[in-house]
Amino acid sequence: MAVQGIWSGTISFSLVAIPVQLVKAIAPGRVSFRLLHSKDYSPLARRMFCPEQETMVPPDEIIRGYEIGPDRYIPITDEELESVSPERSRTIEIVEFIDMAEVDSIYFDHPYYLVPLKGGEKSYRLLVEVMRRTNKAGLAKFVLAEREYLVAVKSTEGALTLTTLHYSEEILPDEDVSPQEGKIDAAEKSRMKKSIKEMMADFNPEKYADERREKIVDLLKKKAKEEATVEAPEIAEEEGEGPADLIAALEEIMRQVKKSR
Amino acid sequence: MSRKVVEIAERRLSLSNLEKDLYPSYGFTKAHVLEYYGRIAGFILPHLQDRALTLKRYPEGVEKAFFFEKRCPSHHPAWAKTAEIRGDNGERMTVCLVNDLETLIWVANLASLELHVPLARAGSPETPDSLVFDLDPGEQADILHCARVALILRDLLSRLRLTTYVKTSGQKGLHVYVPLNCKETTFEDTKTFSKAVAVIMQKNYPDLVTAKMAKEHRKAKVFINWSQNDASKTMICVYSLRAREKPTVSFPLAWGELENLAGRRDPEKFQIIHAEAIHRAETMGDLFREVLVKKQRLPHL
Repeated sequence: MAVQGIWSGTISFSLVAIPVQLVKAIAPGRVSFRLLHSKDYSPLARRMFCPEQETMVPPDEIIRGYEIGPDRYIPITDEELESVSPERSRTIEIVEFIDMAEVDSIYFDHPYYLVPLKGGEKSYRLLVEVMRRTNKAGLAKFVLAEREYLVAVKSTEGALTLTTLHYSEEILPDEDVSPQEGKIDAAEKSRMKKSIKEMMADFNPEKYADERREKIVDLLKKKAKEEATVEAPEIAEEEGEGPADLIAALEEIMRQVKKSR
Repeated sequence: MSRKVVEIAERRLSLSNLEKDLYPSYGFTKAHVLEYYGRIAGFILPHLQDRALTLKRYPEGVEKAFFFEKRCPSHHPAWAKTAEIRGDNGERMTVCLVNDLETLIWVANLASLELHVPLARAGSPETPDSLVFDLDPGEQADILHCARVALILRDLLSRLRLTTYVKTSGQKGLHVYVPLNCKETTFEDTKTFSKAVAVIMQKNYPDLVTAKMAKEHRKAKVFINWSQNDASKTMICVYSLRAREKPTVSFPLAWGELENLAGRRDPEKFQIIHAEAIHRAETMGDLFREVLVKKQRLPHL
């Protein structure tokens, strides 16, 4: 598979070590747009604006602050942030195996594929097969892009996947969500069970598509065919010729040049 | 895939894909490209020295896709010199400095046929050491039109006591350089000056010159691209190969030769290809040497 790896290292537990590469499992399907200036179709740039001094702020004057109250901040430097960043992981060290059935999908954050590297194919296949049969997943701590994640390594259709999990403190409590009171009537319960049963199907995600996306893509194709495209100017050109005395001097010399040619 | 390990200045370099034909319709392989840069090194290195290199890589040859690389590839050899600069959007990035033969050969081995550098050195990114008039012919114009414009520019600037130097772009245009080599001159100055000159040229030669970027103004005219005088822009380095059908070179011409060529009405005669470039450089020396040392100040600023 000729894909760009995000990370490479080894998965390990007890005496097993499998060299792998981490690759994206998802290409976002969202159609994204650039923001343009309607007058000349220039792509717009984001600039940081200081409302107090009514001026644009250059990058080297921008720092971070943690807001602790109205107009009160704790300034934090890049160095300070770096000093508390975890070191990059070389291994995905599986600390325990868990039953996948126990993990509520609310914990799932972002999925990646793990691709075996040279020499790791055999133990990779073995782990895929065993985890698939037992429906188990390995839990590990893993540092990616300066963040430490809790991850689940599991088997999905012949491959190993790594899914970053939300920490439990990130999950909002559901106390206020489900109503506490009320008895459930047995007849109602069986009626609902019955209607669910009638609608049962195998999970076939191919049946569903992002219809808005398809419509947008069709619209874009149609417009591209009709050549309803616009072009940005190569650069924004400022008005004006230049300092008056320079222009005057050049005009005079130009006259001499033309005379002598 | 063929590999060959060479040793330059006691540094080992693994060269790959030497038989790859990078100019297929001409028949010029990776090995030829490396040989060219090896032989022209003494002439091109002073012009690359301490400048943030932009690589323009053609891994599958000039007929296939290329990509620009501003950052120094992370797999660069430990001995290759680099500099930390701020990119267009303010973020820091590491760039390559091609200061010696081994780095030049390493870069060429990445199929970076074209070597583009800024007008300023990495250590003083706001002070250009030359001003450039990038003469770019629009549709239905060619290098002969550029030569006319270049000769007028030379006359105009010499009356301001500025000595100028000219090189081919290796494509269809010409580049007129005004050496400055003085710390006080900023890109703001060179941009103001070059724009004023371009505007005056357009006013006086409206059928030949435009100072406007927009394509509709450029038909049958030479666009004087003054906006190249900017810290974020790069120019093709003198003596760099170009990725055209043939391995042409961006090569300096003496003004007298440009006058002759302008009279001969054959645009192809302006093109200097690899072998001629080496032969000329070895017999005539570096016609662009003064661009690096001559100190001049822009007037009326």
